[in-house]
Amino acid sequence: MGHRTILHIDMNAFFASVEQSTNPDLQGRPIAVTGGGQRTVITTSSYEARAFGVRTGMAVWEAKRCCPELIIVVGDNRKYTHTSGEIMKMMLDYTPEVEVFSIDEAFMDVTHSLSLFNTPENIANLLKARIKHSFGITCSIGIAPNKLLAKLASDMQKPDGLTIIRPEDVSRVMERLPVKELCGIGRKTERQLTLMGIRTCGELGRCPEERLTGKFGIAGKRLKEMGLGRDDSPVIPHGEDDEVKSVGHSMTLDKDIDRREEVLRFLLQLSEMVGRRARRYNVTGRTVTLYVRYADFFTSFGKQQTLANYINLSEEIFKAAVELLDSVELEQPIRLLGVRLSSLRHQSEQLPLFEDERRKAFATQAMDEVNSRYGEFTVTFGSLLPSREKNGSFVISPAWRPSGIRNVDVK
Amino acid sequence: MEFRIDKEVFLKSLQKIQGIVEKRTSMPILSNVMLEATDSALHVTATDLEVGMKSSYPAEVATPGKITVGAKKLYEIVKELPNQVIIFTTKDNDWVEIKCGKVQFNIVGLSPEEFPYFPAVKEENLFEIESSLLKGMIEKTSFAICNDETKYNLNGLFTKVETTEGGDQNLKMVATDGHRLSIAKGTFKGNAGPELSKGVILPKKGIYEMKKITDEESGGTLMFGFMDNSAVIKRGDSYMVMRLVDGEFPDYNRVVPVANNRIITINKEVFTHSVRRMAILSSEKFKGIMLEISNTGIKISSSNPELGDAMEEIDVTYDGEPFAVRFNARYLLDVLAVTDTDCIEMKFKDELSPSIIVPEKSDSFLAVIMPMRL
Repeated sequence: MGHRTILHIDMNAFFASVEQSTNPDLQGRPIAVTGGGQRTVITTSSYEARAFGVRTGMAVWEAKRCCPELIIVVGDNRKYTHTSGEIMKMMLDYTPEVEVFSIDEAFMDVTHSLSLFNTPENIANLLKARIKHSFGITCSIGIAPNKLLAKLASDMQKPDGLTIIRPEDVSRVMERLPVKELCGIGRKTERQLTLMGIRTCGELGRCPEERLTGKFGIAGKRLKEMGLGRDDSPVIPHGEDDEVKSVGHSMTLDKDIDRREEVLRFLLQLSEMVGRRARRYNVTGRTVTLYVRYADFFTSFGKQQTLANYINLSEEIFKAAVELLDSVELEQPIRLLGVRLSSLRHQSEQLPLFEDERRKAFATQAMDEVNSRYGEFTVTFGSLLPSREKNGSFVISPAWRPSGIRNVDVK
Repeated sequence: MEFRIDKEVFLKSLQKIQGIVEKRTSMPILSNVMLEATDSALHVTATDLEVGMKSSYPAEVATPGKITVGAKKLYEIVKELPNQVIIFTTKDNDWVEIKCGKVQFNIVGLSPEEFPYFPAVKEENLFEIESSLLKGMIEKTSFAICNDETKYNLNGLFTKVETTEGGDQNLKMVATDGHRLSIAKGTFKGNAGPELSKGVILPKKGIYEMKKITDEESGGTLMFGFMDNSAVIKRGDSYMVMRLVDGEFPDYNRVVPVANNRIITINKEVFTHSVRRMAILSSEKFKGIMLEISNTGIKISSSNPELGDAMEEIDVTYDGEPFAVRFNARYLLDVLAVTDTDCIEMKFKDELSPSIIVPEKSDSFLAVIMPMRL
């Protein structure tokens, strides 16, 4: 692979910036965005709030203790997905090779666009100016020969940064860089590396590969390359080409629950959300996974079963999820519930021959059409009715994409 | 036990039971074939507890006895032996010795005591049926048998004798997988008995084996009957026993639409080639082909966003309201492949209702296909 030029764009304090730019009262003030519902954990905070020590993941009371003037804004996920989608569209004006990494991050491979736009700095500055002009928010951009280093570079200057790591700079930059700064090295790997006496990327790059593979298996080779600042993973433009392997939804509940009928109600709601999305994209699946996290926040389990046939009707998904629930003894009240459908294949929209099955298919279709037009859960199962307004808090998953099956309609 | 047998005869006997023996090894004895030598014959038996077959062949028996041996291995060995007489002898501890010319094999078998009980068939319970009738009816229906094992009641051919008002008896075979349904009809002579009058579900595997038996020789008759919840088929010196599917077959008469009055007649060859051409563009993801029927003829088209699109027109006479309907091309081709008239009639109601395909001027066969969403 020849010399590449990769950009990593990281929207600064994205949710908070969007809120500040749309509400002048919030500009220049410490604000924190929380998920919906009664549980109040900070998802993002503005740089003004961060100066007081407010961090993502803090409970509201904790954050208020750091910063008594903190303004709490309940997140509007729809606004964020919209803004994110628009920004991703702008990127496509510079190269078709845009990989959306999450709602506020993307990679661009501009190697072949330089003849049109001269330098990568030029593209970065144009993009920054357009985002600032259209949405009033800033981003940090990293420019480097690969994705690993581009992401590293964008992290180096925040907010509103532009950092370039040129090929000739790589070894100098890596030499004293702590390993934990690399995307892909988490706390656990960092601890194991420390035990091996490896603290910086320079040390990681010089470590014999056998020592690393002895400890980490096949990942060892990759770790050494990361230490050397090498990464030849391509920027994968997202379209429907990206094979989707599962459709899932989870929700953190407003309060911990342990009554069976309550659990079932949330399971039904999740099953409907999963079924709805599977049907919209014409996929059926035969593996159903139930995920449960207990109230203590630390213990959780996931259990799955593979069915004999492919399904995507909500009630079938629900039935499989309930079977999974009944196969385990719940140890504690539940804090988070998730349902996932996987082993997917495209269904052919073949209608069933038998009338009762056909009626079910037509009824589901009619229900889906009403909900597409008037909003999710406009027509729904009777048992979901008492809690129509809003159940749980919905967090945008890292797998979110601006289009296609991963594009979740958020509340 | 010791017997001598002609290689070709032995090979044929083993080939015949290869489809019956259990492929999974949950019960090793079911992967074995039982060889039993009596006065002047070798009896070869295989079963997977659902379908079983027993055939007799001429052999020179020196010492009567029985043994079971791995059916697949034994077949592979015999296939590669020189074309001479095979001497098959049992040794101690269920070992067998196979000698042929200068070749010798010693292989280990399993005790015949472990082999499942195989029922003795009482011939007086059987009645004659034309082999070619069964063959044709199986061909016309078996493609629609459901492969989803959870729908066990659809994993077979529903078989029933119906008596018309005039006193004629019709043998009917019906298969469906929940998306399409196929019914074959033939004249039945003789006494139907309680099982066929009520209707039975013959298991899919048994049907495929029965089809092989009817394929072997054209013409002639075979014996058919029931005992202990099983169907029995006997031809010459072989008989096959298949356990009936214990389940309720759906009421297929309710599935066959009665008010499909948009009718077109189309040449089978022309239509087959057209559907095959259009189906080239279909894939796992995009299976459907579109039929647009109007006064000017029928327009057949398919499109696949990943490949492109195709279209073709065929002249047919139709003077009703124009309409469009979409089908899985495979379902159409399966029906067209087993139709033996020059033309077929297609009867539609609308794009969301079951459609009928029948051979022109014949009531021996009827297929119902459910369309896909437009």
